[in-house]
Amino acid sequence: MNYLDLTIKEIHEALLEGKTNPVELTKEALKRAKENEDNAFEMIIEEDALKKAEELSKLPVPKDNYLFGIPYIAKDNFSTKGYETTASSNILNGYVPLFDATVIKLLNEAGAILIAKSTLDELAMGGTGTSGHKGITYNPWDKSHTRLVGGSSCGSAAAVSDAIVPFALGSDTGDSVRKPASYAGLVGFKPTWGLVSRFGLFPFAPSLDHVAYFTRSVFDSALATELLSKHDDNDSTSSYKERPNYLDLNSSVEGKKIAVINGIYKTIQDKKVIEDFDKNIEFLKKNGAKVDFIDVDTDLLKAIYPSYIVISCAEATSNDANLDGIKFGPNYGGKTYSEVMFNARTKGFSALIKRRFVIGSYALMRENQEEVFLRAQRARHLIVNTFNKIFETYDAVYCPAAPNIAPLINKSSENINEDFMIADNWLAIGNFGGYPSITLPIGLENDMPFGANLMCKPFDEVNLFNIALKIEEGTGLKNLNYPAYAKKEGK
Amino acid sequence: MNFETIVGIEIHVEMKTKSKMFSLAPISFGLTPNTEVVPMDMAFPGTMPRVNKEAVRNAIRVSNALHMSIDQEIWFDRKNYFYSDLPKGYQITQQARPIGSEGYLVINIDGKEKKIGIERLHMEEDTCMQHHFSDYTLLDYNRAGIPLIEIVSKPEIRSGEEARKYVEKIREIVTFSNVSDGKMEEGSLRCDVNVSIRPYGSDKFGTKVEIKNLNSIANVEKAIDFEAKRQSELLLLGKEVEQETRRFDEAKKETVLMRKKTDAVDYKYFTEPNIPPIRLSDEFVKDAIDTCPELYDQKLERFLNVYGLNEVDAKIILTSVDMADYYDEAAKFTKLYQPLANFIISDVNGYLNKNTISIKEFNVEPKFISELVELLQSKKINSSQGKQIFEKLVKENKSPLIIQKEVGAVLINDESEIHKLVLEVLEANPTLRDDFKAGKTRAQGFVMGQIMKKRGGKVNPGIANKIILEELKK
Amino acid sequence: MKEVNKEVLKDAANRLLFDMKDEEYDTLLNEFGAIQHQLNLIGNIKGVDEVSPMTFPFDVTITYLREDEPETPLSQKDVLKNAHDVKDGQIKLPKVVG
Repeated sequence: MNYLDLTIKEIHEALLEGKTNPVELTKEALKRAKENEDNAFEMIIEEDALKKAEELSKLPVPKDNYLFGIPYIAKDNFSTKGYETTASSNILNGYVPLFDATVIKLLNEAGAILIAKSTLDELAMGGTGTSGHKGITYNPWDKSHTRLVGGSSCGSAAAVSDAIVPFALGSDTGDSVRKPASYAGLVGFKPTWGLVSRFGLFPFAPSLDHVAYFTRSVFDSALATELLSKHDDNDSTSSYKERPNYLDLNSSVEGKKIAVINGIYKTIQDKKVIEDFDKNIEFLKKNGAKVDFIDVDTDLLKAIYPSYIVISCAEATSNDANLDGIKFGPNYGGKTYSEVMFNARTKGFSALIKRRFVIGSYALMRENQEEVFLRAQRARHLIVNTFNKIFETYDAVYCPAAPNIAPLINKSSENINEDFMIADNWLAIGNFGGYPSITLPIGLENDMPFGANLMCKPFDEVNLFNIALKIEEGTGLKNLNYPAYAKKEGK
Repeated sequence: MNFETIVGIEIHVEMKTKSKMFSLAPISFGLTPNTEVVPMDMAFPGTMPRVNKEAVRNAIRVSNALHMSIDQEIWFDRKNYFYSDLPKGYQITQQARPIGSEGYLVINIDGKEKKIGIERLHMEEDTCMQHHFSDYTLLDYNRAGIPLIEIVSKPEIRSGEEARKYVEKIREIVTFSNVSDGKMEEGSLRCDVNVSIRPYGSDKFGTKVEIKNLNSIANVEKAIDFEAKRQSELLLLGKEVEQETRRFDEAKKETVLMRKKTDAVDYKYFTEPNIPPIRLSDEFVKDAIDTCPELYDQKLERFLNVYGLNEVDAKIILTSVDMADYYDEAAKFTKLYQPLANFIISDVNGYLNKNTISIKEFNVEPKFISELVELLQSKKINSSQGKQIFEKLVKENKSPLIIQKEVGAVLINDESEIHKLVLEVLEANPTLRDDFKAGKTRAQGFVMGQIMKKRGGKVNPGIANKIILEELKK
Repeated sequence: MKEVNKEVLKDAANRLLFDMKDEEYDTLLNEFGAIQHQLNLIGNIKGVDEVSPMTFPFDVTITYLREDEPETPLSQKDVLKNAHDVKDGQIKLPKVVG
């Protein structure tokens, strides 16, 4: 029996029953991490992880502290005290943080064991998992390494999908957890903005950034939320709202009103995606949900991607202005202070990142700000107003998470028409409005998984988890992971 | 042709809060570099700003003193630019919504009051300190993140003198409200001045020249006067004033070119997304204002009306808030307000000047000064004994009553003993009574002199005087 | 809006304190063609200029301000640990002028 193939809840039960222990779990996780060939890791933390596992193994397993003894992985844009953190960018090579991100602290205190830092698109600015300084991270479902796993939380997605760990931290600014979750057959959850502290998360675009995470079941997402959704004084945007019990769930959709957005649904070209999504809708209806297909102004949907690009790149130019080689990161010298900064930034950032910075900077220029940056912020406002209105009537919005299965690596930039752009980018609505949003697998096509996404109004996580549990029940794809699937299918 | 000088002033005031504007690093203005730094001050990735309540209170207090409207919703913006002293690559400031707007202060010019309009007051954070050496620069992050308020005047200042008085008034407000040390020499109050000139009667502004690095209030006046003269000479020669940044050369007493201004820097401001808008309650604002330490004008009024001091003396004591505080504390222990003021102005100030220390470094408890004043005023000691006690007091900081005993600075108060002495003098000088009756009042002084001589000056002069008069009249 | 050409882009990049290879500016210039199209999509929205720009996803107004109580600072050693060039307890740079 390999316990890492199970969900957190199941591993916790095995720990309680003494069937396994933190040392065994950690050793196996480290072994799988080292054997992994998907280029998922910036760093594997072997010695400290084992030491911690040994200490934990001496302790009784606390009941309902689900993450006790569970090996986990953090995307390499979470500040980890004493462990180099680079955000997969050369400009941060060698940077060793002096403090832990709040979520890292909470996980460590709960007894979760950090076994690795995972790869990402450079500085989390990308959606392909190909732009980090260690190169492409591959989709574990395609052993021929021709498909993306998606990004920017590529390494975390690959690791959970490959059953190295049952839980991994990612970050989500546009869809950086929820899109790769779709490509890797995972549950990817982004809580309400402000619910989970961002302190220690390297910022990309703070008004859109969220801590988010991968699990292989809806309940595992809920139990992680129960642990991580604490108010944090270190993050001024951390919500003061009282948190409900996220594990008090009934998985009922009886009487729930769910909206499918026509303008998104109808842009999906992949027949298998639509077929399985429709099946799931029928299942929800059968279980008492009322599902409506509703219209939203297409011009608004078309504006999602451009607004996202403008806002995120603009904020990013500012957030990454601290990367100058003076206080930390590689320093290549120079005759003047500006030459020192210029050299560090010229050598440290990839061309892709630089182009995005120029775009962001262009949006903020005095003569452009009104027409570019502020207008994108206005568009964001209108989009959010529209969805807030929908949430006045509906409990949730539900649509396929992405237009297709994980794209081929060399074809990722093809297919760019406006319909595709909507289907490919609509998840950013969740970031615009700070909505809780969960992606979960709904089907497979040629042995490649794909998912759908559910969004609710802010702070409505319990409702979200309840509906998602029912969806999961309908798909039967709980705890989907590649090793178990391969075994079952005899691959 | 005659020109009118137009001056606008931007003042940065460094607050003396216990922690920084957005980080929790301590501020003690300590000398060891890079020991008052937390991760945010180094712009380590993932750190986030947390607004300091006391800094907001300070900003409210100064805004109120400057008669400004106070925005009860606090918003911050990022000002984006690259410089060696700016750790984050942006400064968190309040561009769009300054906490204070549209105010004024009043200065006195040739006996007339003049209102100077103030455009805005906002909170922001300081940069790190750069120490320049011959071929390198060292960076100390202790200063990075210290709270600042920036106060921007309207271009309504018309001379170096007005500018000096404006800055003096601002300094007075920020020091009396305990917001800042307000020391220009040490950089806790910094002035950037914009100077332009135009023909009288014109309503257009001329080309602005910015003067930076002014390190004293006197230099503000000198720099502006020089600059106005320089500009008018240029115009009279048919030349143009160029838009540039200059600094004041103290030795030459003139402004010198630092750099020509190319097109204005684009700071690409946008709302700081890591600080949500902060709503200030009416009570919070009211409390900040109500608990604001007493400002100069209120203090002056109190010193005149409650202590009954004369205006000249009150103003001398109010030259510094520390001196005023010292006086207030001492005044709790005596009702002899004017003599107390006199003693502080002459004796205490004399001591401070002689030793070139400030009242803050003066280690005598205020109540001991009051005791000493009481001793002197009740004539229990004479002035030379007073001086003797004061000398010991500044060294030992203990009760003048104890010192008085230790040094034996006691006057003879016993009437019968004094009477005996007076009679001795009168017996030795039998003509004195007649002289006195004949109108030669100096006889009185002569007797006093003699008895003092006999007892080394230690006779209570009040009692002695009474007895001498009685005897002379006999 | 500011006109976009290679020079403007190079100037913008340099103001952000980096440079790119010449062909990267060509790529970027091409991208700006697509971006212009994308920006038009925003401009197409009815009434877009009638709503206020949004920074925060929903009303996040707070009333909290932190107390003015300092925490223990980093040691000087830690402050400088990640810096490349250090002298006399400070970070060293080539002489900064002006």
